[in-house]
Amino acid sequence: MSGFGGVLPWARRTLVERDKILTSEEFSAILGICQIVPGPNIMNLAVCIGSRFGGARGALAATLGLCLGPISIVLCLALLYEHYSYLETVKGLLRGISAVGVGLIASTGFKMMRDEIRYPAMFLVVALTIIAATVFHLGLGYVVLLVAPIAVFLARKKAQAL
Amino acid sequence: MSILLSLFLELSAFSLIAFGGVNALLPVLFDLAVNQKHWIDVQTFSDYFAIAQAAPGPNFMTVTLIGWHIYGVLGALLATFAVSWPSSIMVYYLQRFITGMKNPLSKKTIQYAAAALAIGLVLSSAFQIALQINHSLAAYILTIGTIAITLLTRWHPLYLIAIGGALGVLGFV
Repeated sequence: MSGFGGVLPWARRTLVERDKILTSEEFSAILGICQIVPGPNIMNLAVCIGSRFGGARGALAATLGLCLGPISIVLCLALLYEHYSYLETVKGLLRGISAVGVGLIASTGFKMMRDEIRYPAMFLVVALTIIAATVFHLGLGYVVLLVAPIAVFLARKKAQAL
Repeated sequence: MSILLSLFLELSAFSLIAFGGVNALLPVLFDLAVNQKHWIDVQTFSDYFAIAQAAPGPNFMTVTLIGWHIYGVLGALLATFAVSWPSSIMVYYLQRFITGMKNPLSKKTIQYAAAALAIGLVLSSAFQIALQINHSLAAYILTIGTIAITLLTRWHPLYLIAIGGALGVLGFV
């Protein structure tokens, strides 16, 4: 419920930086699994962490807990938006928030990138993914198919090296 | 009723191809909802993105809001469920499989590979969606400033959202 600005940065702060339940690398790894599986990665994260502590029921509890409150709130906001979206103030407000929101998504990516400094060859995987997705506009399925073999090859070397 | 069915099927399919999560796939969701299905227009999409960011909770709720736009509360619940169920089931079994793996080397390999891919996907999505929702130089400066501040300080994201909103209200963005 306190996951303002998206739950991902909040989840990272709470689980890694504050409560230290997971190390930064464990978090990236679990998130990595959750992100390689398609679907909302925060729901996947809830399933992963929930099931880690309480099996299938833990997973269900974590996903419902994550969703029900926020859905009610976001729908109330949507009602307000319906009535007031014509106001210049509201338009400006949303423009400002969305610009920050996209920055928050990017910075989650950059923070995860810090862990790769220990084995810089992995930056190649990151760069290839970005080029395939943004320069060549490949569908995400193709991006994953293309980059995954290289990622697995380098990851194996990294796992042996560290 | 048929639009609800279409919403459910399209979003379930979207969930199955949503590698890297909904935020990594915002550009694809944009294409589906705005260009292909004409569920909403560009401005509404970017406003819903902002609301989902500002509201507490998961920010994939851009999807929830699209559902709400189409069919009220029922649409919202259906959209959220549709985008979640295929992957939740998949990840539940995949995570057990990976945790249960005996060879620590292969386990690490999968985790490192997946983490690197995820980073690439998240960054590309942020880049592509910035091109859709930022319409002014000031908006890009705000986005870049957000990245810098979150990397250099430990400020809570809520402060940044509040600052962004305030700058927007004052007409700077």
